[in-house]
Amino acid sequence: MVSQTITLTNGSGLHMRPAGVLAQAMAPFASNVTIVADGKEVNAKSLMAIVASGIKCGTEIEVRCEGDDEQAALDAAIGLIESGLGE
Amino acid sequence: MAALEGVAAAPGLGIGSVMIITDPSLDYEPRTVEDASAEKERLRRAIDAFSDLTREKAAVVRERVGDAEAAILEGHILMITDPYMVAEMEGLIDAGQCAEAALEQICEMFATMFEAADDDLTRQRAADVRDIKSGVLCQLLGVREVDVSCVPQGTVLVTHDLVPSMTAGLDRENVVGIVTETGGMTSHSAILARALEIPAVLAVPGAVTSLVEGATVVVDGTEGVVLADPDEEALSQARGRREQYLREKEALQRFVGKKTVTADGCQVELFGNIGSLEDARAVVANDGEGVGLFRTEFLFMDGGAMPTEEEQFRAYQQAALIMKGRPVIIRTLDIGGDKDIPYLGLEKEENPFLGFRAIRYCLAREDVFRTQLRALLRASAYGDVRIMVPLVTGVEELRQVRALIRRYAEEFDREGVACNKDVPVGVMIETPAAALTADILAREADFFSIGTNDLTGYTMAVDRGNDRVRYLYSTFHPAVLRSIRSVIAAGLDAGIPVGMCGEAAADPSLIPLWISFGLTEYSVSPASILATRATIAKWSAADADALARTVMEAATPSEVHKLLRGGVR
Repeated sequence: MVSQTITLTNGSGLHMRPAGVLAQAMAPFASNVTIVADGKEVNAKSLMAIVASGIKCGTEIEVRCEGDDEQAALDAAIGLIESGLGE
Repeated sequence: MAALEGVAAAPGLGIGSVMIITDPSLDYEPRTVEDASAEKERLRRAIDAFSDLTREKAAVVRERVGDAEAAILEGHILMITDPYMVAEMEGLIDAGQCAEAALEQICEMFATMFEAADDDLTRQRAADVRDIKSGVLCQLLGVREVDVSCVPQGTVLVTHDLVPSMTAGLDRENVVGIVTETGGMTSHSAILARALEIPAVLAVPGAVTSLVEGATVVVDGTEGVVLADPDEEALSQARGRREQYLREKEALQRFVGKKTVTADGCQVELFGNIGSLEDARAVVANDGEGVGLFRTEFLFMDGGAMPTEEEQFRAYQQAALIMKGRPVIIRTLDIGGDKDIPYLGLEKEENPFLGFRAIRYCLAREDVFRTQLRALLRASAYGDVRIMVPLVTGVEELRQVRALIRRYAEEFDREGVACNKDVPVGVMIETPAAALTADILAREADFFSIGTNDLTGYTMAVDRGNDRVRYLYSTFHPAVLRSIRSVIAAGLDAGIPVGMCGEAAADPSLIPLWISFGLTEYSVSPASILATRATIAKWSAADADALARTVMEAATPSEVHKLLRGGVR
């Protein structure tokens, strides 16, 4: 398993649009991708689960990837979050 | 015979038979399933069919209404095809539940989770999840969703709310009137009804239960009244008024393709006020010469999240393209006061109209403003786009906006993105401070546009929404008229165009005053364009000046009103 911690900076938190961007980008990876925030574990391939988690801007989150392509998945997730998830 | 009152949302008179549109029954008998894989296949097919249907609707809505509305529908597809959500439903089916029950439980679980969130945005998504649930249930149960694309001639649609997905295929030939229980002047239903020129009365409480299927009703979209069960006399009276309305509308057709000129040949500009792309098309259909006020708030209110630069750019670009090179004056974000957008996180204020709103908000939130100004600059490459700044109180605000525009234009220059770096920047005159310093503002502004609604409110120090003091709100007050006169004079002295984009610009009793003061541009609702052109054509400068002289001597709003009423042509 690989993981990295990052602070969420996009304006309105993980709402529909950014959550959709993240979930769609993670879908092709074979690895399990999990976001850990405020003690909750959220499946990063699920738009609904991300939205339901209500993670807000400024929250420190940990992205965990586990599987054959875990490093590529982690790099993709961190890159997207750093670039503001399309916002 | 009963008269039901509501909001007059789209003018005209419709006489027809009631068709009540209610949501279909989605009741089902829960079953225990033996063949789980067949049941899962059934669910998958229903989700696919729902997604296809939603995609088609989104395409129609994008074409007829706009990107923001279409994006809401496309979001529904993303949600229902979420692999995690589908897996949860399949788990329940494996445990013996039928597809309907599995769908319902999982959707309700998410809706409840969303509702429990501590921010408005996530809570609003609960309604989306329930919409999706109904849509997929329709597919599973073989129930057809509401379809208004094919209805009998002379139909009056009566429904709780006319949602975009329902109106996408509305049969404009056969629908003669619309009555809803919710909505207001600026709701989707109202914008659509006006664009389709179907008389509409909205926000009629209990319309669905008090009107009878198949009964004849009169929908008076000009007065905002629905006559249920009219007697023979009322019916023939309504027919007479309908014919008169159509005759007057027909008579205005001779002004199509004509310039807007006074009786003595002085030409002015006649633009339309818009709040959506549908409205922009209505401006073209009514022969408007441009857009004098594009309210950009709809982009921010519909989506549930801040529209991106790309989304805003597309909307502004489309407006410019629809207007085919004619002027499009776009007002920067005018929120605050009575217009709240939950995700912007504006605090409740003691005096919202005197508080953190419009340009004050934008200058403090450079991230929000930058996105909008960049989108506007990019759109400026596609037509005669002009930027208008609301609620200006002094020249420093204008300078700050110009500095930002200059900086972003330089960014585009480096990036090789096309934009008009000399995009005209004008001031919306709606505060007494701006009106009293109009001569100073005119040195640096490219144009003025007088917002008579707020200018009246601020000049009279009156909240229009307060019943106790509303009587003081009058554009006919000498204070407001003097203010407008001096603003126009200051603009003309400096050689810049002076427009008006409030309701007063279309008021036939006030138009002679504006002609006398020298107003150069009138911006009115699309439906009022031809009538305004007709009124302007009736007045010569000499006649208007003579009337203005007596009116400006009058002491009270009612004296002014009486004199102007007497002069109406």
